[in-house]
Amino acid sequence: MRKVYAALAGLLLAAAVVQMYLAAVGAFDKPQDDSSFALHTMNGMMVIPVLSLVATAAAAAARAPGRQIGLTVLPLGLVIVQSLIVAIGGLFDDSTGNTTPLSLAILGLHAVNGMAVIGACELVFRRARRLAWPKPEPRSQDAAEGSAVPAS
Amino acid sequence: MTTDRLMALDLLVSVLTAAAWVSAGVAAAARRTRTTAALFAVALVASLARVWSVLALAGSGWWFVQEKVTVALPLLFAAAAVATALAGPRVLRAARRPGPPSGAVPHGVRTPAVVVPLLGAGYAAAAGLVQTFLVGYPADPGTALLLLAVVAGAVLVTWRASGASVPGLRTATAATAVAAVLGVTLTFVPATEGTAAAAEGAASAGAGAAGAAGSETPSAHGDHPASADHSVSGPSSEGHSVSGASASVAGGPVRPVTALRGPAVPPPGGAVRRFTLTARTATVTLSSGRKVAAWTFDGRVPGPPITAVQGDLVEVRLRNADIASGVTLHWHGYDVPSGEDGVPGLTQEAVPPGGEFVYRFVAAQAGTYWYHTHEVSDLGVRMGLYGTLVVTPEGAAATGVDLTLPVHTFAGTTVTGDHDQPLVRQVAPGTPVRLRLINTDNTPHRFTLAGTPYRLVAVDGTDLTGPGTLGRAGLRLAAGGRYDLAFTMPAGPVVLRTDDRSDAVRLTPGPSGTGEGAAGTRTGDGGTGDGGTGDGTGGGSTTTAPTGDWPELDLTRYGTPAPTPYTLRSRFDRDFTLVLDRGFALAGGKPAYAHTVNGLAFPDIPTEVVREGDLVRLTVVNRGRDTHPWHLHGHRVLVLSRDGRSPTGSPLWLDTFDVRPGEVWEVAFRATNPGLWMNHCHNLSHADLGMMLHLAYEGVTTPFHGAHGG
Repeated sequence: MRKVYAALAGLLLAAAVVQMYLAAVGAFDKPQDDSSFALHTMNGMMVIPVLSLVATAAAAAARAPGRQIGLTVLPLGLVIVQSLIVAIGGLFDDSTGNTTPLSLAILGLHAVNGMAVIGACELVFRRARRLAWPKPEPRSQDAAEGSAVPAS
Repeated sequence: MTTDRLMALDLLVSVLTAAAWVSAGVAAAARRTRTTAALFAVALVASLARVWSVLALAGSGWWFVQEKVTVALPLLFAAAAVATALAGPRVLRAARRPGPPSGAVPHGVRTPAVVVPLLGAGYAAAAGLVQTFLVGYPADPGTALLLLAVVAGAVLVTWRASGASVPGLRTATAATAVAAVLGVTLTFVPATEGTAAAAEGAASAGAGAAGAAGSETPSAHGDHPASADHSVSGPSSEGHSVSGASASVAGGPVRPVTALRGPAVPPPGGAVRRFTLTARTATVTLSSGRKVAAWTFDGRVPGPPITAVQGDLVEVRLRNADIASGVTLHWHGYDVPSGEDGVPGLTQEAVPPGGEFVYRFVAAQAGTYWYHTHEVSDLGVRMGLYGTLVVTPEGAAATGVDLTLPVHTFAGTTVTGDHDQPLVRQVAPGTPVRLRLINTDNTPHRFTLAGTPYRLVAVDGTDLTGPGTLGRAGLRLAAGGRYDLAFTMPAGPVVLRTDDRSDAVRLTPGPSGTGEGAAGTRTGDGGTGDGGTGDGTGGGSTTTAPTGDWPELDLTRYGTPAPTPYTLRSRFDRDFTLVLDRGFALAGGKPAYAHTVNGLAFPDIPTEVVREGDLVRLTVVNRGRDTHPWHLHGHRVLVLSRDGRSPTGSPLWLDTFDVRPGEVWEVAFRATNPGLWMNHCHNLSHADLGMMLHLAYEGVTTPFHGAHGG
């Protein structure tokens, strides 16, 4: 079960990385409109939350420590914050729906919080891997830095 | 407080509520006794504030709070009550005890009896937020059950993770799983059936099932035998090629939409105005010399202007040279016969490369209109497949300066006509001037006119009654809408500005009759020339001053009242309500975070069925966070009320009305133009994401596949 959990955590991290990629796809799409970010929106509002929930359930089923379970649901919480940043930033657009300096100042946090999502997913994955394969190799420093994938 | 402010406030309060409960739980898990107690108190206050904000919002209409009152608040309240009963006394006891909690009390607040209920209340509060964002209006048992299952599952996981043994864990888990499966089934199965039917209808072009699944069956047809579904579905929406045989609506003739065409000869006294438009890709040169790749009519953006005198017959031959996705012509705001409306898949097939289609209609309405492609219209219009249609009244000799100004965002810059720099004209003082503003974009524009008093004489092609003089006013023009401004050229310069940012038109006093070429030359030396004008005249400062603080004109209070054929108190034969929102739905058969109407996306939104002669009321409610310019084809609608208040000024006959977040519009029209019509959001990217539906007259069928509308 712990291996399943680690695999799900890996998928979660992959989805978060793909999310960054899709953000860039949307940003460079021309001409740009709502549909430019359709994939980004779908991945962010469906795939990542569902993976986060399923991984959390797997963590509980795998009898992971409570802290680890809480950590696994953190990406979902941060994704909700992502939606809120967009919604609250939009409240400060002007009457024709164009952005204002204030709304942009808020909307820019979407990228910062996005990095927090990546960080959280990375942390979840690293710890899930440690749970799944508890005997670390002698040079576990590398694994901790995420630069090498340990053999299972 | 306005409804959109209340919506924002409610959103903020619900965020605060969820955050307070979750942080109280986390603080308890971290043994921060005093922090837990403080956050607990904040959470309780926030929860009560949430009740208040929902009640305040309910004053704007049930649509705005339906999912909150039926699901989110009960869930929050049950969870908050449990948390208060279980965790409350323990937190109070721990908080009153001085000293380190590890001493006297072994666990302090870090006991499952405190942590789990607090976090549980947090999950319940967050579920309401998730519901508002992902599901929207309306909440139904399926999604409610699914949310409940997610919250229950989260509580079980938390409980288990807190290290305690959960009594009846297996039973609870099983119950949660059953609820989740049931919720998923209720939520997705009917929608899936609808999609399957729609796909089948589109693929075979023979089944009427899609229309039957998606159409509102009028009561008059309730007693039909087994074929009733077919007979109603044909006229109502998706139609089919065998409709002529199977679609027999009781009590009325059956006509295919292809029979509803314009006349071949003009009415007596009218001339025939012939145009040929060839759609092709081209590189267009804007006034600054900048070259842009575009989709064009005749290699120009905007396309050739189409003009006529009231009573003429307009005949437009559309050819497609190389627009691979196909092209049509839709006459925006013009009440043409349905077969000339240019909606691919509904009134005609899109014209493929090499193909052609001839449109004919009588220029019955005078005023400012425009035309654009309706095939992949979001991309097509933005790439340049649009032009202007101006019909002048019979017998009115053209006097003065009459400028038609389609404003478009082209490759990232705002252009007026093909000018990406201000259009400069010399006009002799005393000349009557008419500016016809057309918003061809997906989003509204704000216009200001500085340097002269003026009147807003027509909206969406229809003259207003008793329009007063305007000065420092911001004119907000909906996507797809038109404003006609009229004034007499003063001795100083006049500047039309777009979005308080860029000058669209500069009229300078001087000998009249300066041609377009001369204007182009003047544009070349741009700022300096105008600066000189500004320095030279007293009015210069008034045309360069910022306009951002000019108040927005409220159209519903502008002009003088006049009798209308129907009012709020009329008896309506049909009443349709469209609640606009965002949520997950199948848009075009694909799951998407769609722009929804009553929780559904095209083609799953039921077709509105009317009978010829019906008086129809449309209520359009926007409970989302985007502006939706609502556009009904083939009919002008009379505004009955906005946010419950009737217009106190001129009657407003519109074809595109901007429904802003939190607004409720009631509009009415008489069903006198039989056919099959699109009824959609004219932010075309929203239409692409599901926000469109059909309005069908009984007895009208379509031989086309019907799966596409825009």
